[in-house]
Amino acid sequence: MANLRDIKRRIGSVQSTQKITSAMKMVAAAKLRRAQEAIEDARPYAVRMRSTLEQVSQGVLEETHPLLEVHEDRRSLEVVVITSDRGLAAAFNANAIKAAERILAKRGAEFVEVGLTLLGKKAVDHFKRHRAKQITYASPIGGDVTYQKAADVARELARRYEAGDVDEVVLVFNEFVSTMTQTPRVSQLLPFEPPKADGAEAVAEEASAYEIEPDPEALLAALVPKAVEVEVFRALLENQAGEHAARMTAMESATKNTEELIEKLTLQYNRARQAAITGELVEIVTGAQALD
Amino acid sequence: MALELVVVTPEGEALSETVEQVVLPGEAGEFGVLESHERFLTPLSPGPMQIVRGGANREWAAISSGFAEVDGAHVVVLVDRCRRASEIDHAETEARRVEAADALAALPEDEEHAGERLRLAGVVATAELELDVVGR
Repeated sequence: MANLRDIKRRIGSVQSTQKITSAMKMVAAAKLRRAQEAIEDARPYAVRMRSTLEQVSQGVLEETHPLLEVHEDRRSLEVVVITSDRGLAAAFNANAIKAAERILAKRGAEFVEVGLTLLGKKAVDHFKRHRAKQITYASPIGGDVTYQKAADVARELARRYEAGDVDEVVLVFNEFVSTMTQTPRVSQLLPFEPPKADGAEAVAEEASAYEIEPDPEALLAALVPKAVEVEVFRALLENQAGEHAARMTAMESATKNTEELIEKLTLQYNRARQAAITGELVEIVTGAQALD
Repeated sequence: MALELVVVTPEGEALSETVEQVVLPGEAGEFGVLESHERFLTPLSPGPMQIVRGGANREWAAISSGFAEVDGAHVVVLVDRCRRASEIDHAETEARRVEAADALAALPEDEEHAGERLRLAGVVATAELELDVVGR
């Protein structure tokens, strides 16, 4: 039978763990709400950008932009991996890294060289250990996601793509599906595929109503790089919301586990206490009987 | 006067109000938009945007590159960044400009740093524009 004092001490330590996990859960919940708001805020811009791009790319079907062109020579692949800076979020980061490793294993052989652009400390830590030589850019997320950060990364990738240093860019990140679900997603960033209009007729009608100045090519030149930036920005926002959601869920189940553990330990403690009392009683009774 | 001006950035709606006229920095030069302007779409360069609310009530804002969608009653401006003159902190902006300019001057002029040089030049240009706007 475990020592009474030992059990008491364990209960105490589990209780303080519970305080930490439940506090972390609440912090994650608050951050998740903010992250979801950021996604909402970004939506109008992305939607308008998309619809404009649809209109313009309809008008200039074969008009190409360097970022839309598929490179014939497929020499270099760049994989952009986005994770969070911090752990304690269940398999959130591990899933993204696994998805990235799968892509590297699958597509790596098609190219002469493969580069890694890493955003988020967890990705940086992992690939520094396993593929340090392939890293071309590594940076932590560092606080709240800003558009500027996404734009800087996207512009650098676009510049290298236009210069012919990179022939394809793939983006790996966790998509925020819901609070309970985050799924790793792999999408092609460059060459950029302009969105295809679904209701083609309606869009064509609307497009004809707009005069494009000076010409569609110039507009496309302004639009395409921005659409690429928006993709990276969206991935960063999804990753941010997903991180907090994953941490919230993880901490909730951790809190539940501590509750169970406390219950079990309390039961054990009471049993041990009862056993001790019974033992003492037996001693007293036997002592009294001995006197008779 | 019923021209609805909406400025949308990736971080949310920066501005939404009814104005008399708006002057935008188009890629082909500055242009003004009044009510019942013909519908058109055009790219914008980074520059000052002037909002005219009637008579002497004018306001300046610094916008980044992007584009504008105009129809008779609306002007939708899609840009990465929009700072109204009243939102710009002079000291903070100046500090940002100096920091980026110093970092830029310290970078070697080779191919390896081309991306970083471009980025810093962008930061300097944005800060200079914002300082210009706040001084108007």
